[in-house]
Amino acid sequence: MFTKMSLLLAALVFSVSALAAENHYRLGVNGLACPFCAYGIEKRLNKIDGVTEVRVDIGDSVVQVTLKEGNTLTEEQARRAVDEAGFTLRSYAEVDGETGGGNAE
Amino acid sequence: MKKMGKRFAYSTLGLAIALTLLGCAGGAINWNQEPPYSRSLAWGEKGSGPGQFNDPTGIAVTADEVYIADARNSRIQVFDKQGKFRRAFGGDILGRPMNMDIAGNRLYVPDYFKDVIHVFTLAGEYCEAIKTDDGLTSPGGLAVRDDGTLLIADTYGQRVVHLAPDGEVLRSWAGTGIGAGDFNYPTDIAIAPDGGFYVADGYNDRIQQFDPDGEFVRKWGGPFAMNIYGPFKGWFTTVTSVAVGLEGSVYAADFYNDRIQKFTAEGDYLTAFGSEPANAGHTAMAVAVDNEGTVWSVNFADNRVEKWQPD
Repeated sequence: MFTKMSLLLAALVFSVSALAAENHYRLGVNGLACPFCAYGIEKRLNKIDGVTEVRVDIGDSVVQVTLKEGNTLTEEQARRAVDEAGFTLRSYAEVDGETGGGNAE
Repeated sequence: MKKMGKRFAYSTLGLAIALTLLGCAGGAINWNQEPPYSRSLAWGEKGSGPGQFNDPTGIAVTADEVYIADARNSRIQVFDKQGKFRRAFGGDILGRPMNMDIAGNRLYVPDYFKDVIHVFTLAGEYCEAIKTDDGLTSPGGLAVRDDGTLLIADTYGQRVVHLAPDGEVLRSWAGTGIGAGDFNYPTDIAIAPDGGFYVADGYNDRIQQFDPDGEFVRKWGGPFAMNIYGPFKGWFTTVTSVAVGLEGSVYAADFYNDRIQKFTAEGDYLTAFGSEPANAGHTAMAVAVDNEGTVWSVNFADNRVEKWQPD
């Protein structure tokens, strides 16, 4: 019983630390309502090393990007990806933890 | 005083002429307009189960089935015409399927993420992936000609490509801009009865028509069809799909205006119809017309399929 509890606790600690180790970013992009543009941005962000998830919140024109531990998204990288997709980066911010919402890639 | 009256008369006349020109340029002034269509059937909701959708982005119809590109679920779903789920396929192959076409017992699916055209049998068996010699860049829509060649709206490639089934590029119409034959993120193509074709010139907010030899014929959508968008009759705010129906009439999905607009083959406005979004976003994403003239569309914001018939 004790062993089982220990294993469960260890797994929980591991998963929380793994989640905490991810890096999250929130990008504001103007005019993100039609899938042709939203998918264009997703496609370009997904090509960046370490990106594990891209969420597009069409209503708020916000893109949330998650990168695995050790990988970061610079403002310049974000701007370039958004520019290549034909849009303009309105804002860039590194945020903590699970960003939630939107449509997962 | 008399001078003032004259000036007022001239101003009014000038304004009337300007408005008429603008109206004509947008296709709104047409004495043969039709009543709108009514929605006679709808099904679907957000999700990943059978009959649920996560971003429906394309539609194609046969005599007895409706094919939906279920983009974020990376699959094709097939229904009968009463909305009953029949089958799904493509889940292990597709990235983001977009505006599709059916020809000769084959379903042609442009993949926005994988930059290829997937070909399936209508039963769902995978046939092949068609690539171009020079590479596609997010193809958003296509149409298959009677001779089996493909016309592809290569959306991020800013061009229309005429392709042999083996991937050889036969011709390419390229150029970003607002002039005749230029494109601004083309999203879809439909074949006219004479073998010519219409291009949904997405972010130019217009339709462009080409003859069977690929020569530019006309363009319409807003004043002078030069990327002026708006909610008026015959205007567009991003065209995301185009289809040709009976007698060559043209149907265009006018995304940000939440409506399907119907035109004559020459671009004269006939009618418009659509659904107000129940959720955030916009509804009129893709349109198809069956051989009875019934119009089918996918409602993007509400994850639904909708059937439309004339009043």
